[in-house]
Amino acid sequence: MKKTLTVRDIVIAGVLGAVAILLGVTRLGYIPVPTAAGNATIMHIPAIIGGIMQGPVVGLIVGAIFGISSFLNATVPLFKDPMVAILPRLFIGVVAWLVYVGLRRRNEYVAIAVSAFIGTLTNTVLVLVMAVIRNYFTVGVAWTVGITNGIPEAIVGTIITLAVVLAWKQIGKNQKSKISKDM
Amino acid sequence: MSSEFEISKRITIGQYVPTGSFIHRLDPRVKVFAFTILVLAIALNTSYIGNTIGLVLSLYLFWVSKIPIRYGLSGIIPAIPFIVILAVLQLLFQGQLFSHGKVYVDYGFILITSESIRLVVVSAVRFVEIIFLSSVLTLATSTTELTHSIQSLLSPLKKIKFPVHEISLITTIAIRFVPTFAIEMEKMMKAQASRGADFGTGGWWRIIQRTKETFPIIIPLFNIALSRAEDLILAMESRCYTPGGERSSYTTYQIAAKDYLALVTGLLFAILLFAYPFPI
Repeated sequence: MKKTLTVRDIVIAGVLGAVAILLGVTRLGYIPVPTAAGNATIMHIPAIIGGIMQGPVVGLIVGAIFGISSFLNATVPLFKDPMVAILPRLFIGVVAWLVYVGLRRRNEYVAIAVSAFIGTLTNTVLVLVMAVIRNYFTVGVAWTVGITNGIPEAIVGTIITLAVVLAWKQIGKNQKSKISKDM
Repeated sequence: MSSEFEISKRITIGQYVPTGSFIHRLDPRVKVFAFTILVLAIALNTSYIGNTIGLVLSLYLFWVSKIPIRYGLSGIIPAIPFIVILAVLQLLFQGQLFSHGKVYVDYGFILITSESIRLVVVSAVRFVEIIFLSSVLTLATSTTELTHSIQSLLSPLKKIKFPVHEISLITTIAIRFVPTFAIEMEKMMKAQASRGADFGTGGWWRIIQRTKETFPIIIPLFNIALSRAEDLILAMESRCYTPGGERSSYTTYQIAAKDYLALVTGLLFAILLFAYPFPI
């Protein structure tokens, strides 16, 4: 892990955090699914992208911003509990980064896709585990929600992350700043 | 139809209403601290009288800050259905946990006691109080002041190498860019719609269609965000911004007599709500 955050880390974390907040407040980040939990989400994707692009610390910070904004915007009691809304979200970017780094040598595309998939599942699984621990859901309900929400979420998350990161790698070949890498 | 695209108007984050009132002119560090302890005290208070005091206090603060009350109500009105549903559920099913009060209804699994009614009333009123208090704070404090004050309140954490300044800069960037991206998103939605794209016209059960509809917005949104980030990185680096460097601020805050007055008042109310044994 790097000792301090670079300018690039700070800015990317801030901007992806802004996207996460925006997806939440405009309700664009919610995909209506007819299950107990109500909505599938794509708001965790900035955290995954942050983790893949800038490493675990940025992924963690973006995840924290996503968690806090979902806690503040929550209209259901489940997400008005910081233990459910914030804590699990910290791990999304970190897990995505671990998977990405592990698979990157084999194949870049596969690494991005798999890390997006696993990153999304991290969100789903940890939120549901916390929901069960804090007595909002029973185990059966959690399984149903996990399958009906988690799988579509993971597929959508993979598609979007792949599209964004690959498009970015193309543009990013000529990053405007020439000194970012040295700092 | 076009109102669906007016995203930037519906976002209330960092909404600052400059009325220049007493509350606006307080030191932001004092303001954030006083509001935090008040919210904590209200969250822990379970008495009717205590919550009435809290409600009156939060309405009074709205009046002092000269902010129209509709700004506070706009945070509550969309939540009313949820408050009602939650209240009904609590009333019907939480009685078992609060069976020590006076029993009013005991019918099968439904048990309504004075304590479960207290739970319902207090949690609804508490929600309103907290919304009012947090709206006064965010409507009377600009985002810059808020991040400055959070940074200075967290600064003791620097001792354990916690990157306080960096975190507060990230927060500032995030909050600053939300309206910008909202405007970009509005442009994109209009552009895509003028090319014949559909948004939100499919029924809620057509999950795949609804999901596909979001792709032409979400993917360009990320790309715009990241190219904005590149510009900002370049701008910051060309101004020789170094993370972790010791830096001073253009605005420095000085705690004056009125700030002490506000702090002491806030503390007194918090202690009163937290510690005083209210009869009901």
